[in-house]
Amino acid sequence: MELAAIEDLVREGGARVSRRAFVDNDVYELELARVFARCWLYLGHDSQLREPGDYFTAYMGEDPIIVTRGDDGVISALLNSCQHRGMRVCRSDSGNSRYFRCPYHGWSYNENGKLVGIPRLKTGYFDELDRENLGLVRVPRITNYKGMIWANWDPEAPTFEEYLGGMKVYLDLMLDRIPGGLEAVEGVHKWTIDGNWKFAADNFVGDMYHVPVTHGSAHSIGLRQAWSDLGYQINPGNGHGFGGEYGGLSAAENETSYTPYIKQIRAHLAEQNGDYINKIVPLGHMTIFPNFSALDTLRFRTFRVWNPVGPEKMQVHAWAIFDKALPDEIKQSIRQQYIFTFGPSGVFEQEDGENWSQSTRSTRGWIARQYDLNYSMGAGHEEPVEKVLGSNLPGQMGGIWSEINQRGFYLRWQQLLKADSWNTIREEEKALGADK
Amino acid sequence: MNAVSSELLREVEQFLFHEARLLDERRFEEWLELFTEDTHYWMPIVSTRERGNREVATESELAYFDDTKETLRYRVKRLYTGLAWAEEPPSRTCRFLSNIQVEQNSDASLELSTRCNLMVYRTRLETDRDLFIGTREDVLRRVNDTWQVARRSITLTESVLDANNLSIFF
Ligand code: FES
Ligand SMILES: [Fe+2]
Repeated sequence: MELAAIEDLVREGGARVSRRAFVDNDVYELELARVFARCWLYLGHDSQLREPGDYFTAYMGEDPIIVTRGDDGVISALLNSCQHRGMRVCRSDSGNSRYFRCPYHGWSYNENGKLVGIPRLKTGYFDELDRENLGLVRVPRITNYKGMIWANWDPEAPTFEEYLGGMKVYLDLMLDRIPGGLEAVEGVHKWTIDGNWKFAADNFVGDMYHVPVTHGSAHSIGLRQAWSDLGYQINPGNGHGFGGEYGGLSAAENETSYTPYIKQIRAHLAEQNGDYINKIVPLGHMTIFPNFSALDTLRFRTFRVWNPVGPEKMQVHAWAIFDKALPDEIKQSIRQQYIFTFGPSGVFEQEDGENWSQSTRSTRGWIARQYDLNYSMGAGHEEPVEKVLGSNLPGQMGGIWSEINQRGFYLRWQQLLKADSWNTIREEEKALGADK
Repeated sequence: MNAVSSELLREVEQFLFHEARLLDERRFEEWLELFTEDTHYWMPIVSTRERGNREVATESELAYFDDTKETLRYRVKRLYTGLAWAEEPPSRTCRFLSNIQVEQNSDASLELSTRCNLMVYRTRLETDRDLFIGTREDVLRRVNDTWQVARRSITLTESVLDANNLSIFF
C-alpha cells in the first residue's frame, strides 16, 4: 500500500477512520505483517502450563502457535507448522507431551521445537538433512509478565515493559492484588464472530458509550441500576487504553459474594497508593494493543484475544480469571458470573458479537467504503491523568463517554502500518520528544 | 438404572417434544415453568484433546451455560425487554430431538434420566445460519402429575463454536 493511502485511513487525530480499515484485503495483509508480526501478543496464562510437558495451542495473527513448558520450566512458543510440508504438528487444544509427531510423514519435534526424529533419514535423506536448522520456527521473544505469557516475532521490538509504556502502572493494578497472583479457570471459551477484529479491540479499549444502549436490557431486567455520567477513559499511550465507571465497572450492578472481597482488596491498595485507587479499581474495560482485551469488574475478570481470520472474521479466545488465594466458593461465584454475563451466551456479550458482525457486513459495500467512521467524541477535552487523579499518573484522560482511547488505538495502528520497522518508530518518537 | 414401560417412554418423548416446541414458538415464559426451582442448566465447553484425555469440562471448569433457575429467569425476562438486540428481531429456530433413551433412576424414584441427540437450526436476519448439534442429558422429576427438568446438561460437538453468540436455549 502507498503511504498516502495509509495516511488516508486515519485522519483528524484519530477522529475519522476509513471503513476500508475494516474490510480491505490490502490493509489486512499489511496489518498481519506490520501489526501482528511486530507487536507483543497475548498467548495465555501460565496457570495453563502447570507441569513440564504441558502445552496449549494459540494464535499470533493467523499463525497457529504451540505454547509449551519444557523440563527446565522454560516456556516456548513455536509455529505449529511442520518444516517439511507445513502440516499442523499439534492438533489438540491442550495436553501434556514431550514431543509432537507430524501426522503427515512423521517428523518429530520435542517440546522446545527441536527436530528429533525423521523417518527414513538414511534411506531417504542419505543422512544429509540439515536437522539443526529444521526445528519448528520459534517465536524469538517471549515473556512471562506476572503470569501473563506474551510473545513477539520482531527481534527489534521494544521490551514488553517498554511496549506497555504508561499502561504498566495501571495493568499492575489488575495483576498485583493479593499475594499468590492470578489463575485462569480451566478451559477457554472459543468462538467465531463474523466481524473485523478491530471492532472488538476498539470496543474494549474505550467504548462505554455503547453500554447503556447495547446492554440496555441488563438495566431493564433489574441486573443493574441506570448508568451515570461519572467515569473515565484513560489513554496511557502506545495504543493501549482502559476505562469505566468511577468506583469500578459494574459498581451499580447487584452485589455478588465476590464484591466484598474486591472492595477490601481495593481499600488495601488505596492505603498503599492513594485515594485515586477507589475511583479506578477494578479497572473496567481494557485493550492492550493490538488484540488483547480484559474486563476487570466487581463481579469477575476476563482476559480475551481477538484473533483475526481474514478481514471479516475473528476467532475469540476468552478466559475467566481470578486471584489464586480466594476461597473456592468465591472462585466458583466469579466463574458463574462471568459465564452468565460474558462469553458466547453472556447476557452482555451476546449483543456485542451481533454489533461487530453487522458493522463489518454493512461496511463492505463500495459506497460505504467511501465514508469514514466517526471517533470524535470528547476530542479536544482530554486532560492529563495527573491533573484529574493526581499521583503522577501517566497518560491523558477523558470522561466516561470519551473516545480518546479509540483515537489513540487507531493512531498507533496507523503508525505501525506506515513504519517499515520498529527502529523507524523509535526515530520518529525521538524526533517528537526533541520537538517538545 | 431400569428400563421404563413403552407408555412412559412415549409420555416422556411427548414432554420433550412439547418443550422443544415452546422454544421454537418463542413461548419462553411457559418454557421456564417446565424447570424445577433447584434446576441446573449446564453446557460445558468441549476441547479437542488427544485420545484418552477428557474432552468435556467438569462442573468447576468453564462452561457455555451454568445457570440456576434464577439466572434462567433473567435470561427469559431479557427476551421480553425489546432491548436484547441479539434476539431483536428474533432468531427463527427449528429443533430436532432423536435417539431418545429413558431410564428410571431407581424403582421408587420420582426421577428419570433421559438422553437424546439434539439438533438446533437457527437462522436470523438475512443470511445468518447456525447449526448446533449435540447430546442432551436431562434429569426429569415428577411434580404434580407432570414432568419438570431438574437438571440439564448439553454437550455440543464443537470445540470452537462457529456462531456469533448463543442467544437461544437448548
Ligand atoms: S509435513 Fe510434516 S513430516 Fe511431512
Ligand atoms: Fe459490550
